[in-house]
Amino acid sequence: MEFASFIVFFIIACTLSAVLLGISSLLGQKRKIVREMDIYESGVNPVGSATRQYDIKFYLTAILFLLFDVEIVFLLPWALAYKESSNHDFMLAGFIFFMVIMLVGYIFVINSKALKWEK
Amino acid sequence: MAADIFLTILTVVFALMVVFSKKTVVSAFALLMTLLSLAMIFFQLGTVFLSAVQVLINAGAIAILFVFVMMLINLEQFPNNREKSKVKLVISTFTMLVVLGVFALVINNNIETLSVVNLTDNSMKALFDKLFNAYFLPFEMATVLLLAAIVACIVITTHEKHENEEELQILKTEEKL
Amino acid sequence: MLEAMIEILLKTVVILALPLGALPLIIHVERRGAAFMQRRLGPNRVGPFGILQPLADVAKFMFKEEVHPTHVRPFFYTAAPMIALVVAILPLACIPVAAPFEAFGRTIFPEVFRSDMGIFFAFAASALGSYGILLAGWASNNKYSMLGALRACAQMVSYELSLSTSVVAMIFLYGTNDIHVMIAAQTGYWFGFLPKWGVFLQPVAAMLFLVGIFAESNRLPFDLAEGESEIVAGYHLEYSSMKFALFFMAEYIHMIALSALFIIMFFGGYSLLPGMELIVERAPILLAVLQVTSLIIKIGCMIWFFVWVRWTLPRFRYDKLMDLGWERLLPLGIANLIVTVLIVYFRNQ
Repeated sequence: MEFASFIVFFIIACTLSAVLLGISSLLGQKRKIVREMDIYESGVNPVGSATRQYDIKFYLTAILFLLFDVEIVFLLPWALAYKESSNHDFMLAGFIFFMVIMLVGYIFVINSKALKWEK
Repeated sequence: MAADIFLTILTVVFALMVVFSKKTVVSAFALLMTLLSLAMIFFQLGTVFLSAVQVLINAGAIAILFVFVMMLINLEQFPNNREKSKVKLVISTFTMLVVLGVFALVINNNIETLSVVNLTDNSMKALFDKLFNAYFLPFEMATVLLLAAIVACIVITTHEKHENEEELQILKTEEKL
Repeated sequence: MLEAMIEILLKTVVILALPLGALPLIIHVERRGAAFMQRRLGPNRVGPFGILQPLADVAKFMFKEEVHPTHVRPFFYTAAPMIALVVAILPLACIPVAAPFEAFGRTIFPEVFRSDMGIFFAFAASALGSYGILLAGWASNNKYSMLGALRACAQMVSYELSLSTSVVAMIFLYGTNDIHVMIAAQTGYWFGFLPKWGVFLQPVAAMLFLVGIFAESNRLPFDLAEGESEIVAGYHLEYSSMKFALFFMAEYIHMIALSALFIIMFFGGYSLLPGMELIVERAPILLAVLQVTSLIIKIGCMIWFFVWVRWTLPRFRYDKLMDLGWERLLPLGIANLIVTVLIVYFRNQ
């Protein structure tokens, strides 16, 4: 039932965006001007290709996000289980240990200056 | 039931696309679609939590990493390496054997025992209970593992920079000389 | 079965129609608000107070030439705006617009699908928001687009961390993940006049979440994805006509969805605004209508806040933005979480 509702919602959302695109490609003006089809670089002739190497920092940000995100997602079930647990001291101790390890990692990241963008 | 079968076929088709697509970026997006249809299967089974976590971690973070790599290292500049090599042959044979072995296990054993019974969001609560009682130590160890991963990725990415700096230093001193 | 199908369809249509119908109005408010803050008039020619201007814009988007440049990757180029819009719409599926009510002999949950884990679904769906942008940037095959997409993506994931810590703190505090229970916990008053909203319990978490919304929906001062002084228009540089409009709509709908989540966690969701109880006492039948009205008013205030900030603060520099995310907001979020847990622990002792 829930899944059926979701699927209906999803399909309607997809159809909506497809219909919007379809309308404009049906109604829109069509004139093929070669200059318009070119890469836009503020009117200057484009130099080189767009697939080149970009800064490693983007990648580093993504991978660090992944690692910290996993830690935070681990905390979600913890936050839900805390209230129903009978042994709060035990849960708190686990949380503190978890956070200390996470903070060690965080401090290491900040100290290494790996995420500093300016040189 | 129809939804089950459809989602399963979708997942398998996308998974095959990951392997067989010749364009790396298409592979990466096929991987994303595989993960998303897996999340749909979880949802269809009734665990919104698992499907949300699947989307958050696997689709939202890991697949982004893959796409980033594809984009950042400009794979188009490398010629497509499709030569046959012995290493490839050995690895693919081994993988096929493992997959066939798993299939054989599934078919030989009673399939009922492998299917997850009553997987709902309510049974998630039971899962949390287990996670924070019986499996508390592995849960804590997970964070240690993540710490190791953080340290490793920082060391790997910043290591080269230091070398460059040293090289620069050497160059500068040479210039002075 | 037929009844169930009709219910699903009706809910879907209503929940899609509300934000999509409000879009032209929001865009008009944004323009007139900008004009108001800059002491000019803004669009005021089409219709009374220029209210029909957004509709004229829609018509223009439809009849514009769809430039399909030769250097793009065609499939992903067309798919990216659709993905952006669909992903922006998805979180709306589990945001309730009113409390469950009895009608036609059954309990109706006023959200597209009812799940007590709905809030996780909403966050997961909004975490996918970066894909539309990333795909658009890559498919456009343009340096500016690519840079805009990479920047936007790195920025969105960085701020998602601090946003997640504040969500964990709130879920821990309420001890539940059910949106309806969360809102029920925020109904009522402290000292007889102060609404029991989450923002008074967790101001730091509210602040982190608010900043997170701005960064996730790429609004000024966090609109580094567009940064026209540096990278022209960022990820949608090569897009025109309706394809551009889809990105535009996606940004606003993402904003509405995240504001709704913010309001659920910190401003009592659909719970009645102060003063509305008097009306409900006289006419209990109006409860659901008033709840929807309260939610719409709250989201309206949020939208006005977005406009206000947009025309007040200048854009960040990229390195400062990343430093703010990683070195200020993330530790603040972690500290807030630890303090919250300790306070709850020692209060229960």
